[in-house]
Amino acid sequence: MLKYIQYIFFTVAVIACCTQANAQNAAKYQLPQYTKFQLANGLTVYLMEKHTVPVISVAAIIPAGAIYDGSNAGLASLTANCLICGTKDYTKKQIEETFDFAGADYDTYGTKEFAGLTATLAVKDEDKLLPVIKEMLVDPVFNDSDFIKEKKRTLVNLDQAKESPGQVIGLYWDKFFYGDHVYGNIVTGTVSSVAPLASTDLRNFYQTYYAPQASAITLVGDFNTAEMKKKITQLFNDWKKTTAVITLPAAPTYNVTSAKVLLVNKDDARETTLLIGNKGVARNNLDYISLQVINTIFGGRFTSWLNEELRVKSGLTYGAGSYFDYKRNGGAFLISTHTANATTAPTLEKIMQVITQLQTQPIDDTTLTSAKNYMIGLFPPRFQGSSQLAGLLTSMFWYGYDESYINNFEANVNAVTASKANEIIQKYFPKENLQFVLIGKSTDIKSIAAKYGTVTEVQIKDDIGKGY
Amino acid sequence: MLNAQLKPDDIKTLTLGNGMKFLVLPDNSIPNANMYLYFKVGSRNEYTGITGLSHFFEHMMFNGAKKYGPKLLDKIEEFNGGANNAYTTENVTVYTDWFPASKLELLFDIESDRIANLAFDSVMIESEREVVHSEWRTDLENSPFEPLSQAVVSAAFIQHPYHWPVIGYESDIKNWKRSDLQQYFKTYYAPNNCVVVITGNVTVDEVKNLAEKYMEPIPAQPAAAPVHIIEPQQMGERRVMVQKDVATPYLLITYHVPATKDSDHYALDVLNAVLAAGNSSRLYAALVDKKQLATNVFIDLPLSFDPFEFNIYVQCSDSVKATDAEEAVYEELDKIKKEGITEAELQKVKNQKLMDFYTQIETIDGKSGDIGDYEVFYGDYKKMFDAPAEYNKVTVDDVKRVANQYFKKSNRTVGILQSNVED
Repeated sequence: MLKYIQYIFFTVAVIACCTQANAQNAAKYQLPQYTKFQLANGLTVYLMEKHTVPVISVAAIIPAGAIYDGSNAGLASLTANCLICGTKDYTKKQIEETFDFAGADYDTYGTKEFAGLTATLAVKDEDKLLPVIKEMLVDPVFNDSDFIKEKKRTLVNLDQAKESPGQVIGLYWDKFFYGDHVYGNIVTGTVSSVAPLASTDLRNFYQTYYAPQASAITLVGDFNTAEMKKKITQLFNDWKKTTAVITLPAAPTYNVTSAKVLLVNKDDARETTLLIGNKGVARNNLDYISLQVINTIFGGRFTSWLNEELRVKSGLTYGAGSYFDYKRNGGAFLISTHTANATTAPTLEKIMQVITQLQTQPIDDTTLTSAKNYMIGLFPPRFQGSSQLAGLLTSMFWYGYDESYINNFEANVNAVTASKANEIIQKYFPKENLQFVLIGKSTDIKSIAAKYGTVTEVQIKDDIGKGY
Repeated sequence: MLNAQLKPDDIKTLTLGNGMKFLVLPDNSIPNANMYLYFKVGSRNEYTGITGLSHFFEHMMFNGAKKYGPKLLDKIEEFNGGANNAYTTENVTVYTDWFPASKLELLFDIESDRIANLAFDSVMIESEREVVHSEWRTDLENSPFEPLSQAVVSAAFIQHPYHWPVIGYESDIKNWKRSDLQQYFKTYYAPNNCVVVITGNVTVDEVKNLAEKYMEPIPAQPAAAPVHIIEPQQMGERRVMVQKDVATPYLLITYHVPATKDSDHYALDVLNAVLAAGNSSRLYAALVDKKQLATNVFIDLPLSFDPFEFNIYVQCSDSVKATDAEEAVYEELDKIKKEGITEAELQKVKNQKLMDFYTQIETIDGKSGDIGDYEVFYGDYKKMFDAPAEYNKVTVDDVKRVANQYFKKSNRTVGILQSNVED
C-alpha cells in the first residue's frame, strides 16, 4: 500500500516525463563523459565508463515499432518479443539458461515507434553474454515451435490484460485519438490480428526493419572504452546494412474538431478509469522544457493542481495526473485518473474546472519557482544507475538530442519566465474539443459521458479498435 | 575490479538518547540525499475494528502537524526540490524522502514536526478516508490477484493478525475514529520505535548535529505491547474459491514459513529463485514453456517479523483448469523434495543474488532500501554485506530439507479465482 502512484497509463514511458533537481547550492549535475561512433554498417555505438560496481548495462534501439505493423497489428511487438526464439548459434533454452545462470537481466520489447533490447550483466560474464546479445539482434531465426508458444501466450495475455483497465486504456486512447494514422496502431495487436501471424511474417518484418544504419547500441559500465570499442566493432560489424529506406510517418493531422467520448463498457467495473486529452507535441519541440515545467504544475507531481483538487481536497480519487506522450513526429497531451462509479460526474466536473483554471489564472511566481526547483532538485537521481544511463543514451539517439539537454537542464528550466509560462499554456494546453476515453459500467455512467461529447460505446470483451 | 565498492564501515550508526537509531552512508556521487524512516508498525499490530489503520495512518502523516499544517508538508518539500512517498506492509510503515542534500535541515524540521506533533484535523480525516477507499477499490479493480490473496491469507492465518489485508476491511475503512489514530500515534510513532536511514551527499557530523537538535527532544514512549499471537500449526490443507469475471483462472498456493530472521530463510529464498526466477526456472520451464498450462508464474517470499508465507502465483492459460496447473506445481515441488536441486542451480542463484546486490547499491535509493530492510528485518544492516556469503553457505541438502519441511500438503492453503464457481 503506497501513499501515491503517479497514474501513467501508457505502457511506453520513455525517459521523457516530468521531474526535478536542486535549487541552490549543489554542484551542477553534468552527464559523465561518453564516446560515440559509427560502424561501417551505420550502427551507432555509445560507450560510457562507470566503475562503481562490476556491472555493464546494455541498451539497443531499433526502428522497428508498431508504426510499421501495416495490417498486422501486433507484428512489431511479437517480433521483438521473439528475438529470443532461437538464433543462429543458440536455442531459446540456451539463451535463457546462459543469462539466468549469470544472474543477468535481459528484455526485448516493441513500442509504438521502436523496438528495444536491454540487459544488465556482470563484467566477468561479458565475453559469454555479449555474443548472445549480438545474435539476438543480428541472427535471430524465429524458431517455429518457440514462436507458436509465444503467440499463444500473447493471445491469452490480450484477454487477461483487459482485467486491468489501467493496463489497456492507453491502447484504446491511441486508436480513438489517432484513428487511421500509424500512431493509432495497437502495439499489442488484438486477438484477430495476432491469430493469423506466422513465423515467416516475423522474419520478413525483421529483414526490413532491423536495420543497423538506423539503430544504436549503448553500453554503460565497468569497462575500458578502447577495449570495448574493439569488442563491439568485432561483434556487430557483420550486421548487414539493409536496402529498404525506413521512413518516419508524416505527422498526424489531429482531426479533432468536436468533443468525443469513447465509452468502453465493463459490466463488473467498480470504478471508472479515464483518459482525457488532445493533441500534444513531438519530443524535439523547442518548448519541451517549458512544457515540462507547466505540466509539473498542472498534473506532474503530488501537489499538482489536478491531484490537489481531485485527491487532496476532495478525496475523489487515489491519484490524478497529466503528461505529454511525446513521439518523434507528434504526440498527445493526457489527463488520467480513476474514481468510483458513483463519483464519475463530480470527477469530470472537477477536471474541467482545473482545465479552466489553467487557462484563466496566470501562474504566480511562487508556483513557478516551486515547479522549477522540483524539476531541478530531483533530476540527478534519474541518471545514477548504469541501466538508467544506457536508457538515456538510446533516448538521445532516438529523439535526436545530446548531453546539452542534461548539462543545460538547470539553466533552461530556470529560464522559463512567468510570461513564457502563460504563453506556453495558451499555445499548447488544450481547452476545447477534448477527447475522452472512459472504461467503466455503462449503465452507471453513459448519461454522464454524454454531457461531454458524442458517445461511442464499445464492449471491453471485443477487440480494441472494433466499432469506432 | 571492485573499484568504489561499498564496505560495512562506510555506514555509520548513531543512537539518540530517546532511542531513535540513525544509519548514515555519505555518498557524494550526486548532489542529492534521501531519508528513509522505518516505523516498526504495520497491519500485524491491528485488531478487528481498526484493520487497515496502519496504512490509513501512513496517509494521515501527510495531513498536517504543528509547524507544517494541512497540505503544507508536500508543498514545502516540493518547493525545495524534494519529493516523498510512503508504504505500509503487514510489518512496517516506511516514509521515504528524496531531496537536494543542501535541504537536509529542512527535512529534519519537517519529519520531527510530524513525529512530535501530528495534528488530527477532522476535515482531513474524512477526505483522506475517501482517498484510501479509492485505493482499496482500484487495487481490486486492476488486479485479480488482490481479491485472491486477501481470501488466501485470511484462510492461512486464522488467529494471527496477518489474517486481514494491509488495506483493511471496507467496513473498518468507513469506521476508523479520530481517537483510534491518536492512540496509534502515541503507541507506535515513538522515536524509540523508529530507524532512520540517510544516504547521500551529507556528512555524519551534519546528521548527528541535526538529529540531536530536531529529533532528540522528542520523548521516548514505553515500548508497545509485542504481538503475542502465534498462529497454531495448520493441521490440514485449506482451500478457497473466489468468483470474478476473468478470462482464465488465477491460482495461489501459499505455505507457512518462518520469519525472515530464521536460519532457514536463505534456503527458502534459494528455492524461490530455483522455482521462479527467470525463464530457465523450474516452474516457468514446466508450466509456461513445456506444458503451456500457464502464461505467468511468480513467487513472493515477503520480509516479515513473524512466521509468514511462501506464495506461488499462477495465471492459467486458455482452457486450462486451475487444478491441472496446481498438480503441475506439486509435481515440480515433489521432484525437489525427492531429488533436491543441482549444484548448477545453486550456483545460478548465488550469481543472481550477487547481481541483485550490485544493482541495488548502484543508487542512493537502493542503498537506503537495503540498509533499512536488513537492519529492521534481519536485525543488523551489516547482514546485507554477509548475504552473498550466507547464500554461499546454503547447500543442495539444505534446500532439499526445507522443501520437505515446508512444502507439505497439510501446511498449504490453495486459492482459485475464476468466473464460474458454481459448478
